[in-house]
Amino acid sequence: MGLADRAVGFLLSFISLSIFTYYTFWVIILPFVDSDHFIHQYFPPLEYAILIPVFAGVTLLFFLCVFIGMVILKSKKKKP
Amino acid sequence: MWTELCFSYLITCPMKHVVKIMALLVAISSIWVGLLQTSIIPHSHTWLLPIYFVVSLGCYGLLMVGIGLMRFPTCPQEALLLQQDIIEAKEFLKQKGIDVGSD
Repeated sequence: MGLADRAVGFLLSFISLSIFTYYTFWVIILPFVDSDHFIHQYFPPLEYAILIPVFAGVTLLFFLCVFIGMVILKSKKKKP
Repeated sequence: MWTELCFSYLITCPMKHVVKIMALLVAISSIWVGLLQTSIIPHSHTWLLPIYFVVSLGCYGLLMVGIGLMRFPTCPQEALLLQQDIIEAKEFLKQKGIDVGSD
């Protein structure tokens, strides 16, 4: 059991670090690089840097509300 | 350990903690508004900064959860002793006639 926990923890931290470096590169370093550098083709245009986090946040909120609603409905069914 | 310190701090003086966080937020937003006014960086990039901070905060939280998961100490002997205790307790309560739920 400890190994599975450690693997999940490592995966989580790896994902978070990679997302952080990619996003930092995208938002902070890329605007200061010349437009005809080859690195620009690995990053989508800058508007997506706003759209993707906002979209992810809204989706997260949506799932949270759905989950809370389902829990409330279940508890209401048990005790009418 | 860090979370325990945080909780004990919150229980003893909750007001100070909230005031600290508010002061930090006010400082960051004042820096951001100052950046907007003096336009050292072009405008389009200044608008990206708050979203960048929120994303980095989320990433930091995820990182802390991952690191905590990795360093979580397990005690296999205690787990075994606990299982035995649970079985004993269930036997005892069944004899006394109390329903101990599903197995």
